[in-house]
Amino acid sequence: MAELEIINVSKTFGQSKVIDNVSLTVGAKEFVVFLGPSGCGKSTLLRMIAGLETVDEGEIRIGGKRVDALPPGERGVAMVFQHYALYPHMTVRENMSFGLRNVKIAPAEIDRRVAAAAKMLEIEHLLQRKPAQISGGQRQRVAIGRAIVKEPHLFLFDEPLSNLDAALRVRTRLEIAQLHQRVDAAMIFVTHDQIEAMTLAHRIVVMNNQRIEQIGTPMEVYSRPATAFVAGFVGTPCMNFAPVEITGASPFVTLRLPDGSMLETRVDRKALPEGGRFKLGVRAESVRPCATGEGNCSGTVKFVERLGDRTLVYVLLSDGTTIVAEDAGMSRIAIADAVGLRFDSAGVHLFDDVRGYHAAEGA
Amino acid sequence: MAAGSMVGRTLSDRLILVAVIVLGIVMVAPIVWALGLSLKTNAELMVDTSSVLHAPYTLQNYWDLVIGSPVFRWFVNSMIVSLGMTIGVLVLSSLAGYGFARLEFPGRDIIFVLVLFGLAVPEQAVIIPRHQLFSELGLHNTYIGLILPGLSTSFGVFLMTQYFRAIPREVDEAAMLDNATRFQVFWRVLLPMTLPAQATLGIYTFLHAWNDYWWPLISGTNAQMYTVTVGIASTQINFAESAGLGFLMAQAIFAALPILIVYVFFQKYIVRAVSGGAT
Repeated sequence: MAELEIINVSKTFGQSKVIDNVSLTVGAKEFVVFLGPSGCGKSTLLRMIAGLETVDEGEIRIGGKRVDALPPGERGVAMVFQHYALYPHMTVRENMSFGLRNVKIAPAEIDRRVAAAAKMLEIEHLLQRKPAQISGGQRQRVAIGRAIVKEPHLFLFDEPLSNLDAALRVRTRLEIAQLHQRVDAAMIFVTHDQIEAMTLAHRIVVMNNQRIEQIGTPMEVYSRPATAFVAGFVGTPCMNFAPVEITGASPFVTLRLPDGSMLETRVDRKALPEGGRFKLGVRAESVRPCATGEGNCSGTVKFVERLGDRTLVYVLLSDGTTIVAEDAGMSRIAIADAVGLRFDSAGVHLFDDVRGYHAAEGA
Repeated sequence: MAAGSMVGRTLSDRLILVAVIVLGIVMVAPIVWALGLSLKTNAELMVDTSSVLHAPYTLQNYWDLVIGSPVFRWFVNSMIVSLGMTIGVLVLSSLAGYGFARLEFPGRDIIFVLVLFGLAVPEQAVIIPRHQLFSELGLHNTYIGLILPGLSTSFGVFLMTQYFRAIPREVDEAAMLDNATRFQVFWRVLLPMTLPAQATLGIYTFLHAWNDYWWPLISGTNAQMYTVTVGIASTQINFAESAGLGFLMAQAIFAALPILIVYVFFQKYIVRAVSGGAT
């Protein structure tokens, strides 16, 4: 049974719509990540699930029970906030047990749950301290512990890693993944960080402009983005885009790049709608630098990023278009070199140039 | 360059120190003088008040205070009025501050502006209608009559509103997800977080109430309802009188004790309040 069902939900603040007819189902024990840029509506949607924002239209069900009219505490969810939201005048133990005391759980049971969660999160030695006496990372663990002790059906994480430094962020990310394996609950995690989304999620919900752009597994979202927005938002570096003309006859199309060079693809002509305008989308790993004249097109290197295991080469085509290509970690390419670019036809995507949806891809 | 800057800094620090010492002396000298006068016999002071600078000293004035002065009664009155006003202000300002900071209701912002407008209205402007009102209600010469006007404090409401607003809403939301009712959120989560502001407001209210002279003079016309400020003033028959000066000063020192104690024990909060939280 689905743990969470969001059915045609909309939300308006004043005159502006912040959630526009969103529907989504999250399975039991599933880990779903809401991914999108600031202002896309992902946190609002999470807060609507938690009961911290009202639902203007549609309905929300948790465990089969309609909850959108229930107060937050009665929805069977626990939430971890971006800024921890711990109670500063209470000790760690009191922070974790506050919610349980409010629903009159027996003291012995509260002690058991707090002890178990503290052990799991390795914060047993902090139980008598107050939030001001512990570090940021420890506070985040306490916030997670406060959620765990409630034994909810659904965990909600609102950008919980964004206040942590880089090293701690990686470590906490791993711990959240491990936590999900241990607890019997679904999790929804809001982030604008695609790496967090890719590494944690069973499914990613990519949001933009108050709507869901795509729902899919991390690899589906990465390798077959439903829209140009998803293609551009997911993946580092961002996918290369360039307007193209369709010139080839069936069965496969040939593309004319902005600099006039031709790119033969494995995109089936029949897969493309007639009369449309398209833009090419291709990730850096599907474009390799080569000697001038050997590839599909050529240009001048304007920037090189050496990342250790690979090198990103920013190549300026004659028309001013920049294409990012990927080379080996030990690449000898330097700025101002003239290079050719060889496209992997399997990695070529075509997007509708007007509406942005994914039209076709290379076989 | 750095050395020059250090010299300049040291010089300015010293100037500030000198100014602070001078100001301190100006503040403390009258208290020390009053203390000295209270330790001299009235007969000596009738001759020359400069006798305060040398022995003999006596506790006779304090003994007279213990055995025959109504100042204890006035002290109790002041204590009831000051504590009553302090508790009332804390309760009302906290509730109003929470309401303005967290609740959404029609006209909230306009009402808040009206409350702030109270900061601009001097007490002199309302004292006559207030006197008439209290007179008609029969509230003069009662503790309620002395306490009630001090409960409507625009400053207290403003201070608590700002303090509640500074607490992240995530804290309320976390408590709501922890099954807390709205009152529990206020009482068990947010109110304890405002303790520094409560302490500041409480101390200021207490000091203001203890030192208040005008309204108790108007409302407490019965000697049994005098507060210390009104009571001590009533024992001074004419301006610059020298008769019974030592006894008068003993009463003043006795009346000032709570204020001194408050200052000594709650200095941290007073400093925080006047520095606007800069510490």
